[in-house]
Amino acid sequence: MEKERKTDRREFLKVTLGAFIGGALFSSCSLSDLKNPKTMVKSPIKTNILRPPGAVPEEHFAQKCIRCGRCGEVCPYHCIKYFDVKTGGVFSGTPYIDVMEKPCYLCMKCVYVCPTGSLVPCAKEEVRMGVAVINRQICVTWQQDKTGLMCKTCFNVCPFSGVAIKIDHDFRPYIIEENCTGCGICAYSCIADTYPENNGKKAISIQPIKWKKIKQIKLEDIKKS
Amino acid sequence: MAKKSFFKRITLWRYLFLTGCFITVIGNPFANYYWDVNFIQGWFQSIGIGNLWVVSPLEGLESILTAKFFYMPSLVGMVIPVTLASLMGRVFCSWMCPIEFLSLLTDKVLGLIPKWGNSLKYRKDLVRFAKYTLWFALVAELMVTMIIGYPMFVWWSPPGLVGRETMFYVFYKHVTVEVFIVIFVLLLNLITRRMFCRYFCPLGATLALIGKRRQLVIEYDASKCVGCKICDKRCPMGISPSVGESQTVYCWNCAECVDVCPTSALNFVWRDRGFITLPKGSKQGSAV
Repeated sequence: MEKERKTDRREFLKVTLGAFIGGALFSSCSLSDLKNPKTMVKSPIKTNILRPPGAVPEEHFAQKCIRCGRCGEVCPYHCIKYFDVKTGGVFSGTPYIDVMEKPCYLCMKCVYVCPTGSLVPCAKEEVRMGVAVINRQICVTWQQDKTGLMCKTCFNVCPFSGVAIKIDHDFRPYIIEENCTGCGICAYSCIADTYPENNGKKAISIQPIKWKKIKQIKLEDIKKS
Repeated sequence: MAKKSFFKRITLWRYLFLTGCFITVIGNPFANYYWDVNFIQGWFQSIGIGNLWVVSPLEGLESILTAKFFYMPSLVGMVIPVTLASLMGRVFCSWMCPIEFLSLLTDKVLGLIPKWGNSLKYRKDLVRFAKYTLWFALVAELMVTMIIGYPMFVWWSPPGLVGRETMFYVFYKHVTVEVFIVIFVLLLNLITRRMFCRYFCPLGATLALIGKRRQLVIEYDASKCVGCKICDKRCPMGISPSVGESQTVYCWNCAECVDVCPTSALNFVWRDRGFITLPKGSKQGSAV
């Protein structure tokens, strides 16, 4: 009886293992991505979907993060959300902030509870979640000849207004990329989507940036992304 | 058959402790969400009680293996679970794990069924694997993690998912598809009691490995044993304490056998010189 069973067990083990590995691989990548192991899994971080403040570079983030969910639990505004296996693949369970739903208000509570160093404690002004980009074709103030409006909302709501967002003599806003934290409050509160010609588009979006270390932001990196 | 009095049963304290841990993990998102009480955060992947941080050893190890980076708070957080496991073995699994709580609850509910209750509660194992399948599970888990380059157990760990799904439900008012992993693990219980815990849990394997030379073991006294084999029937891990298997790595110190033994031939002992003397029943500790 024992000998007969043994082959069964082995086969069962092999099938389980194969299914597990295959399933895990298939759920997270396509075959063309397998050519280069570095692009095997694609990060779900994109425009307006950003990591919480103090996050290490995206290529290390999901490796360090142990998905304990503590950052989301301490977030007083409940703006930190988590990917699930459908939206994130192997990034499932890692935190993100969707600035269009709720931007980060830079209370900096999450960075102090991270046990793995995925979120590195840092000061408010050192946060680089992304960089705000103004679409001047949509911004009502930049198109003031057409719209006749002077809005200034983004300038007013920015936690570093006058440092990260400045306005010129015609009240047209522009971003100082070196100082922008990417918190997304400006993108969240942009009123351009209420203007009928814009079809619900906001004039500011937050682009994730590829950077090396928290204090070593270079202008080229921001421009590239 | 002299049964132990109610309050002297160790399993009673185990059930209470399990319930307490479960309530902590389940209630924690509610406290955080509705009352902004951030005293306790997280769940069994990493729990923060005030300034005391605990990081689960396997998840921490995977994080280190894939990121190739040591972070002191994470290492310090692993000290408590590793110490606990090296002294007391897999007590996390039997005394704290929410999956064990839910499995136990299913068993108890099944036991309430009249007539068949008792035979359902301590049902026979329909499928049995070799006990060392546990180590294969751990190796496979670590291999997959290293190949893919992202920690896997951190998102599919069933005890962690219990906390995560609760948090998802409380915070975002929906549960994710990962909840089926928990349900699947609980359904495996119907085939064989604690099937996942016995054979497939990488975290359990890690803790068992750490606790190989543990101090707290269930000692088997052959002179007192009358050979009734009740302990073998009761053991949720499918090992036989009646031949001294309770001292092997596969025992998780749940004290079910200690409580049912009519002649108290099985008892918890603290082996002070555990590193020097071999456990008594180590000869019988062969696999299968």
